Amino acid sequence: MLRKGITESFGAAIHALGSSQLTDGVINRSKRMMLDTLGVGLLGTRTAVFNKALKYSQSFSADQRSSVWGRSNVTLPPHFAAFVNGIAVHSMDFDDTWHPATHPSGAVLPALLALAETMPSRPTGLDLLLAFNVGIEVQGRLMRFSREAYNIPERFHPPSVVGVMGSAAASAKLLGLSPAQCRHALAIAASSAGAPLANAATQTKPLHIGNAARRGLEAAQLAQIGLEGNQAVLDMCSGFGVYYKDYSPSAMAHSSSSAFKWILEEQDVAFKRIPAHLAMHWVVDASLAARRKLQSKEGSFDVSRISRVTLHVPPSKYINCPFPASEHQARHSFQFNAGSALLDDKVTVASYHPAQINRSALKELLSKVEVRTPEDNRPNFDHMYCEVEIETAQGLSCTARCNTFYGHWRKPLSQEDLLDKFQMNASSVLCTEGVEGLMHVVGNIEKITDCSALYSFLRHTSSCSEEELCDYAIRTS
Amino acid sequence: MLSTLQKSLKAGQAVRGLHKSAVGVLKRPTPEDTVTSSFGKFISEIKPQHLSPVVLHRSKRMVLDSIGVGLIGSTTEVFQLVLQHCQHMYAPDNISFVYGRRGTKLSPTLASFVNGVATHSMDFDDTWHPATHPSGAVLPAVLALSDMIPAHSKPSGLDFLLAFNVGVEIQGRLMRFSNEAHNIPKRFHPPSVVGTMGSAAACARLLSLDPSQCSHALSIAASLAGAPMANAATQSKPLHIGNASRLGLEAALLASRGLEASPLVLDSVEGVAGFSAFYEDYVPQPLESPSDNGHVFLLEEQDMGFKRFPAHLGMHWVVDAAASVHEVLVGVDAGKVSPSQVQDILLRVPKSKYINRPFPESEHEARHSFQFNACSALLDGEVTVQSFSEAAMNRPELLALLSRVRLEHPHDNPANFNLMYGEVQVTLAGGDILKGRCDTFYGHWRNPLTNESLRKKFRYNAGAVLPSERVEQLIEVVEDLDRHENCRVLLSQLQ
Repeated sequence: MLRKGITESFGAAIHALGSSQLTDGVINRSKRMMLDTLGVGLLGTRTAVFNKALKYSQSFSADQRSSVWGRSNVTLPPHFAAFVNGIAVHSMDFDDTWHPATHPSGAVLPALLALAETMPSRPTGLDLLLAFNVGIEVQGRLMRFSREAYNIPERFHPPSVVGVMGSAAASAKLLGLSPAQCRHALAIAASSAGAPLANAATQTKPLHIGNAARRGLEAAQLAQIGLEGNQAVLDMCSGFGVYYKDYSPSAMAHSSSSAFKWILEEQDVAFKRIPAHLAMHWVVDASLAARRKLQSKEGSFDVSRISRVTLHVPPSKYINCPFPASEHQARHSFQFNAGSALLDDKVTVASYHPAQINRSALKELLSKVEVRTPEDNRPNFDHMYCEVEIETAQGLSCTARCNTFYGHWRKPLSQEDLLDKFQMNASSVLCTEGVEGLMHVVGNIEKITDCSALYSFLRHTSSCSEEELCDYAIRTS
Repeated sequence: MLSTLQKSLKAGQAVRGLHKSAVGVLKRPTPEDTVTSSFGKFISEIKPQHLSPVVLHRSKRMVLDSIGVGLIGSTTEVFQLVLQHCQHMYAPDNISFVYGRRGTKLSPTLASFVNGVATHSMDFDDTWHPATHPSGAVLPAVLALSDMIPAHSKPSGLDFLLAFNVGVEIQGRLMRFSNEAHNIPKRFHPPSVVGTMGSAAACARLLSLDPSQCSHALSIAASLAGAPMANAATQSKPLHIGNASRLGLEAALLASRGLEASPLVLDSVEGVAGFSAFYEDYVPQPLESPSDNGHVFLLEEQDMGFKRFPAHLGMHWVVDAAASVHEVLVGVDAGKVSPSQVQDILLRVPKSKYINRPFPESEHEARHSFQFNACSALLDGEVTVQSFSEAAMNRPELLALLSRVRLEHPHDNPANFNLMYGEVQVTLAGGDILKGRCDTFYGHWRNPLTNESLRKKFRYNAGAVLPSERVEQLIEVVEDLDRHENCRVLLSQLQ
């Protein structure tokens, strides 16, 4: 077994990376990621899956407790706080997406916040930001070890593969582990990686992120008390390589060398405007554009006149769902998202409510939707497009194409729109003080020495919103 | 590798022509048609009367061996480490017992975690064909869950055994879905793949979940399965079993609370991998519903291998072969075997990277080293628990022999526990050649340990941490387990 020193280089980098290496570009981008993740997570605490996980987690007790986002009177053992908060983040498929494809922040931030709350010497905002970026960076590096990772997945759900490694790396960083311990944290985490894609588009998908967060944290803590794994886990095909069909790892440059560059500096993330699989964003933008075209041609828009809708999309089975039966399936359905956009002239958080999914007008429209997968439309978030063609009974036809949706890394959300999204999400659970407090703390996190305000804002619920939460969860479970 | 996988998937679809249309994306299969739902139905509907006498007998042997191995495993460093971790992270919840720690309790999932770690900590636990360690993933979870169930509704001994057997059966069934699983693993460590599923199934059974919940338990568990082989022969390997146990239990508990997951996780769906993600070739088969005629458990047809010493199963062949050479050597030159007698040692063994270690540096590596085990057996005539102590590992005589070992991988020696053999060829200083060969070691399913040998192993293991009266009581309780109205009799002996 050839040891190429790759795992070693990762251990060294995780240990040695310092806040002085954080560039302005990276600080900026990662703060946006943190804010978006918190907002999305807060909104997610209203979901049925979150409430099931919370109920389950409450059967555990511990001396150490960490905050549950959006709950003023509930705390959990740190691992379970990381678990449920991670689930909240991914519960509505509303969290950030990167290229190669994964949801990087949800696997890392919940673990870090839960851990930080229990550390005897409280980390500063800059410590948190650094650890967060280490967790993101490790994920980005790992995905570049295979060509398979660049395309929309078919086998393992990427957050379950790289997410747990990122969480382990970030937690190891915050704990200040030695290079050897950092290596072992990665090795231990590797044995907790890998969930099959079949659970995407189901209620269990969010647990992939929740588990990535908690088990990465666990791996770092086990490494801290001396548990050892395979020190060359990243070097070996029978190590981290098992999750990929092609695997070609390379070492990380030394953090202090000029060769070191954060991936986030060169490759931004996408923030979602709608709580659905990333590919849906192309579909929605194209559908809305086609609808506008038809409306201007005909003077008005009448959905009953539509005879056929053809979607030209990349091939990917798990997001090809003609008649979704649940909100989870609806978030993973080309057809549903096109149909909703055409019917309502918008797609929002409310579009995935069971009542909305079951509308007969929508179902009728869905029966007219066809999906085509052109050869040149690659299942890859950097290259795909969506073309929507609407045909009317009168013989009229309108086509619109979306190459880059608004929110994609090539066309990032403006700061104003990102803050708007956060405010909308966070205020569903927190009072104004909490919402604005979080915006302020995260916006200035690199300058903040005491992060306890962060936790108290995360729990600044409005008095009646918690009762509402329970009601909502019961009604939709 | 990509093209092989695609070819196999296509072949799988052709073979399952009957179900092909049902599994297409556009037409959703009715629940009754899927492999996944057949598994859920089986777990939910199987009854104690379906356990044949043979299966009862064999599984009780497994329960006994597993407890013993877990008890001695509670003396290992890795066990101390994870126990400390769990106690630090979570206050004692005084619910479920911990092997070898009288009075210590943990929450059920954590108890199953540490007890699972204990069970696999010395690689002393049972091994099946196709290859996995079935009991360690299932028993700790079933025990912890039984502790959790309130006193007035505790399962009977027979219910307990049924749940245990369901956990083992599901693992066996899943491994038969691929050719890859029949050989010594290269990619994923099997207990981390099927063990989690087995634990989920066993716990779902014990919790009396309905068929749909049982299916979801399996599906949730699939998202918790899978650890790479690279961590075998390290201190983290035992966690694969510990995690299989705890996460399977967790999956069942989550399913009982209504969490749902993919209804097709065991089925073969092109473009969206479910449980198939862990295999290069995958052809699933549905489980028949247990009928009045009864269900034939795999354990009826394929017995379990129990280990005589704590090392990877492959080691048992070379040890038996080397021991026979030792006998001859000792006969020739009465007394000890000395390295000066030996010029060259040739081992003819199957090809498997992770058990080929010329100079192991830790006990974990030593348990996964053809070379180490052959030389220990050559020197001592046997391999025991003590053979892996630091002192034993660092003996100069042993190191001298290790430097004279070569390996050969004959074509007729496949990396398969049902077909492999071990051959040890020693060239003596004078030029004479001694050969030993083992096709079936004592303890293999073709040559099972006698009840006496199994009990002897248990007495040694359990006696490391329990007083002898308890040890004897445990033997009795497990022997009579199916006749006990309440499994408390077993649990109370372990508290």
